[in-house]
Amino acid sequence: MASRSLGQFYPVASPVHDLDPRAKILATAVFVVGLFLIDSTVGLLSVAAALVALVAVSRIPAGTFLLLLRPVLFIVALTVLFQVLFSREGVTLVEWGFFEVRSGGLSLGFFLALRILLLVSSAGLLTSTTAPVALADGIEDLLSPLKRVRFPAHEVAMMMTIALRFIPTLGEEAEKIKGAQAARGADFSEGGPLRRARSLVPVLVPLTVGAFRRADELAEAMESRGYRGGEGRTRYRELRFRKRDALALVLTALVLLVGVLL
Amino acid sequence: MRLELRDVRYVYAPGTPFEVEALRGVSLVVEPGEVLGIVGGTGSGKSTLVQHMNLLLTPTSGEVLVDGVDATTLKKSELRRRVGLVFQFPESALFAATVEEDVAFAPRQLALDEKEVRERVLESLRVLGAGELAARSPFALSGGEKRRAAIAGVLAMRPEILVLDEPTAGLDPATREDFLALILGLRNAGISVVLVSHDLDEVAEVADRVCALQEGRVLAVGTPAEVFYRDPSQAPATVRVASLLRESKPEIGAPVPFGETLDALRALRGA
Repeated sequence: MASRSLGQFYPVASPVHDLDPRAKILATAVFVVGLFLIDSTVGLLSVAAALVALVAVSRIPAGTFLLLLRPVLFIVALTVLFQVLFSREGVTLVEWGFFEVRSGGLSLGFFLALRILLLVSSAGLLTSTTAPVALADGIEDLLSPLKRVRFPAHEVAMMMTIALRFIPTLGEEAEKIKGAQAARGADFSEGGPLRRARSLVPVLVPLTVGAFRRADELAEAMESRGYRGGEGRTRYRELRFRKRDALALVLTALVLLVGVLL
Repeated sequence: MRLELRDVRYVYAPGTPFEVEALRGVSLVVEPGEVLGIVGGTGSGKSTLVQHMNLLLTPTSGEVLVDGVDATTLKKSELRRRVGLVFQFPESALFAATVEEDVAFAPRQLALDEKEVRERVLESLRVLGAGELAARSPFALSGGEKRRAAIAGVLAMRPEILVLDEPTAGLDPATREDFLALILGLRNAGISVVLVSHDLDEVAEVADRVCALQEGRVLAVGTPAEVFYRDPSQAPATVRVASLLRESKPEIGAPVPFGETLDALRALRGA
């Protein structure tokens, strides 16, 4: 059974979903750069407040959105721990043998944690409000100026779309093959790391063979429907950059400017 | 061995919005030396059910008993040797450089000596009518040959029950006939066979008993005649013909396999 992967597109109707994917990609890029220009906790908090508001507007349930942050929690915890343990700034709050907690470390840890969480959230908001196809279209359009220097923008975008599409399919296939080998006595949990890596060979070989077979079939299916690459290809859904998309970009820049100034 | 499933329930992805109850209380026995056919439509739980027979899936609730003993208390590797499970499209799990190496995978996991491994590999391939494939690459075979090699890979464990999930899907009629003959041959050698199929006509040919599944529940279980004559609209072609004739000529009886039906029709004409 396929499970929801993180940051997967969450199909609801909302003003954020409705924005032009190019605007969302650009806004996210601006946002990520902006995060590194903000050097105060207050600034980050103001940006965070704006992001929380945006998530609310996107109609993605808070619980689903927070799940996105789970994989980075470990890194965040580690960052805070290191700052607290090794920082020698500010006043001492707790002292216990040669272990001490200083206010400087605590606030720096908080600042860095906030920055990481905002980074991941902004990228997650982009992928969960933008359908993979729209995302690929947006990337293709943004890369298309590079076509002049013979950069294959359409092909790159198509490869991304296909890769994303086949992650769950291959995952399912891997589960099936693991089951079949387990039925033949394979054990994936016993022995040291080397033995366990070796025990994956009977899974990885058929999985790879299967992936090549699928690729061939997909290529044939695409060609039989007349796909010949990006040259002269039109789209069913034309992207339209509207006033609200420009407005979204300006608002993003404004929020970040406030964050930098605070 | 006698394998019993008692009120087995299985839920995929419990506690998430993607929760699906695939089995809703299935009780079923695989008797020693029988061919048990399991039939049912897509999504009826057939494939989920068979994965409980060697505990690749553990029931959410309910029990799996091997000769009356709770299967979860047995060694998993031993259980999986005794209950050989062949997945649907088993050829997608072939991986070794030669067919012989691939079939040898399971016996080697049992830590048998090389002489014994080789003996079993050749025996299984011979039973499958694939002896001449031993030295070939599994990736260079035809679909039917791959299927034979993959089934040999499970048979080489010398299981007491062989579970086949849709073994004839996508095969040509001649290979199908071979496989059905193979199932009967295994039964005559004392191995129980569980045949999962949505092709009622092939189940009609070989099954001693039939279990019909629907939406994760046992709809009916019994001899092929008992199960298929209950609802002839969902029965093999032979049963549909015979049950139609039965309305005016009850003496035709309740034949299920093709040969028996033919004989019954001849007797009817002669009379």
